[in-house]
Amino acid sequence: MSQIDRRSFLKRAGGVGLGGLAAGYGLGAATSEARAAEESPQQRAERVNKAELSDQRGFDGVHQAGILTPAANFSILVAMDAIAPGVGELTTALRALSARARELTQGGAYPPREYDDPPYDSGTLGTDIAPDGLTVTIAFGASLFDGRYGLASRRPAHLTEMTAFPHDQLDPARTGGDLLVQIAAGHRDTVEHALRELLKPVRGSLQPRWTVAGATGAQRGPSPHSSRRNHFGFHDGTSNPDVTDPKVMNRLVWAERGGAEPAWTVDGTYQVVRAIRMHVEFWDRVGLHEQEEMIGRKRDTGAPLGGEGEFENPRYDLDPKGERVPLEAHVRLANPREPKTIDQRILRRAWNYSEGFDADGQLNVGLLFVAFNQDIQRQFTAIQERLNEEPMVDYVTPEGGGYFFAPRAARDSGDWVGSGLFA
Amino acid sequence: MLAAAGLGAVVAACGGSKENHYLSIGTVSAHPDIAVTEVTGGSHSPQVEAMLAEERTRNPGPGSDLEPLAPSRFERPVAEYRAYSEGEAKQVEAGVDRLRAALAAGDVAAAKRAWLDAYDHYLRLGAAYGALGALDEAIDGNPGRLPGGTRSPQFTGLHRIEMGLWTGEAPSKLIAPAAYLAAKVKHLQTVVRTIQIDPLTYATRAHEILEDAQRDMLSDVDAPWSGAGLRATFDSLAATEFVVRTLRPLLNGRDSTIEPVETEEARFHQTLEQVRKENGGEWPTLEQVTPEQHARVDGGLGSLLERLSAIPGALETVRTRPVPTIAEQKRADRQGADAE
Repeated sequence: MSQIDRRSFLKRAGGVGLGGLAAGYGLGAATSEARAAEESPQQRAERVNKAELSDQRGFDGVHQAGILTPAANFSILVAMDAIAPGVGELTTALRALSARARELTQGGAYPPREYDDPPYDSGTLGTDIAPDGLTVTIAFGASLFDGRYGLASRRPAHLTEMTAFPHDQLDPARTGGDLLVQIAAGHRDTVEHALRELLKPVRGSLQPRWTVAGATGAQRGPSPHSSRRNHFGFHDGTSNPDVTDPKVMNRLVWAERGGAEPAWTVDGTYQVVRAIRMHVEFWDRVGLHEQEEMIGRKRDTGAPLGGEGEFENPRYDLDPKGERVPLEAHVRLANPREPKTIDQRILRRAWNYSEGFDADGQLNVGLLFVAFNQDIQRQFTAIQERLNEEPMVDYVTPEGGGYFFAPRAARDSGDWVGSGLFA
Repeated sequence: MLAAAGLGAVVAACGGSKENHYLSIGTVSAHPDIAVTEVTGGSHSPQVEAMLAEERTRNPGPGSDLEPLAPSRFERPVAEYRAYSEGEAKQVEAGVDRLRAALAAGDVAAAKRAWLDAYDHYLRLGAAYGALGALDEAIDGNPGRLPGGTRSPQFTGLHRIEMGLWTGEAPSKLIAPAAYLAAKVKHLQTVVRTIQIDPLTYATRAHEILEDAQRDMLSDVDAPWSGAGLRATFDSLAATEFVVRTLRPLLNGRDSTIEPVETEEARFHQTLEQVRKENGGEWPTLEQVTPEQHARVDGGLGSLLERLSAIPGALETVRTRPVPTIAEQKRADRQGADAE
């Protein structure tokens, strides 16, 4: 476990105690069961809600929060373009962004101002900001490394603009950006509040380009570890690598040390974002058998075809001709589980998005796909190229997103995310 | 279809109506903390029960309310479709010939008319395009799929010419792309005459042609310069009507699938004709379609698609191989190892 992860864990445990809240964390199962038996549903809901709201995920450390952190229930991703006239104004804005993000992730009361002044905070979360597991993750797009701010020679080795894959219909207004802020928390009002507050100190230097708001499905079992479902009704993110294993993370997520990577990229990671529209009306008119053959898993259990549990090894080695799991099934192409594809695995953090209806009255919903990886070309692109002609392409249309680099976290409250790039 | 039949059997066994059955599922999911483990941990979900029913009865045999159809039953519908598509391919070729003549004469209005004709008849091939592969991409490919988009040198087919005609490009600039298009279209008749379409693909086309129209035509993605999405939808409907007509003898008496399809088809046909009439007998561009007309078209298409989606399941053919389980493959693997 890396430093930030230990820290956020300790903070979380500490935060619960500090708040004086009755919490299930750290208590034995028997105790919490006994407690659960005594309390009314309303009391239980209140206790759970308070525990969730007091959850702190931290901001400073080695690795930025919001990467290894499991996907929070709600997210907002916002891409921004740098319009600061010079590098000085830009770094001032980035410093302010980190400072406000740090405050929001810590929570607490905000300072009063004179009665005739605009208040410090919008107040949408009340007088006392609950941290609510908030993470704010800041990343830079390839376009920032052009000539404007003298950063051309400091571009991370694997950072490029996202180019269209054969079935993409990328909308330029929803693609790319100089900066990406990923905001994630336990409740929707928390992420909306954070977005509003974070835009305030950077006006004039960073201008919003596009945004997508996402949410995960609720935890509906069958086990507490079951992956959440996407808009197609299938479990999503089942085969993620183990985030608690630093060796695996060093191999798959964190930037390579040395080599072609500039020194400032150490402890950072590449972030891939794709807004993938899902044509759900069409999907809902497809037979379940065909749906499962396209995905390669059972819809009800999430088990690989011919298997019984979601996390069962799909054993493609026993099925070389695809008699059980078709060779072009999504999960098989995405992660063939062969020795040569072990280094291609990515860390997925996906949310569902819902943006009303399109002009034809079709639900405009999809997957806000986020992947962290060490080398976009070796990992994400290699996977995506295998998926180019999968049967599922008829039912999805990638419409936006981009490639970004999320640097290391701020060291402490005197530091800010990205300081190494400008050092 | 087998699975659906199994689910039906489970519902019947529970002694409840379908509506009641789903209601009980809804109640379970609304209280995930309390009830889910009890319900799904202790017994199988209705869908898993249905799957198990399928496992027991798969390949081929009883268990379905419908006897699977012999694949040979599709020979005649596909043959009829081949003859139909050969006629459409001929019309595409004629349209492209007129297009080239109009471009050579510098007559943009005539070129647009010829282009729309060629596009109409190409879309009326409907059921074929999945089977045309690279030829389809060359004739009807969209720039979005090419690196460089509209600037890609591979952007050459119908839509390259559409872009030129509707954005005021000089007709002389379009002569070369049209010649390329003509060369590709020349192969079309030969290809569709001998095209092989397996039963499942053909049955699936009955709803996929219009699914594509919903996703790509009405949304203005496929023909953005001419705005021909509405007439393109009408062409897709015509192709669907033909496919459904050829499948009618097979669908008779199978789950009462055909009657609602034909009712909705006729209704949607009428809706589109009405919109054309309201526009003085000409197909309006998507931009000219009023919100009220759009709502009628979207609703009618959605309703027809819901009916059409029952066709592939109703026309299930024999599945030739059982799907093995992981456990079965492990056993086979061990036996193989022992034998060595």
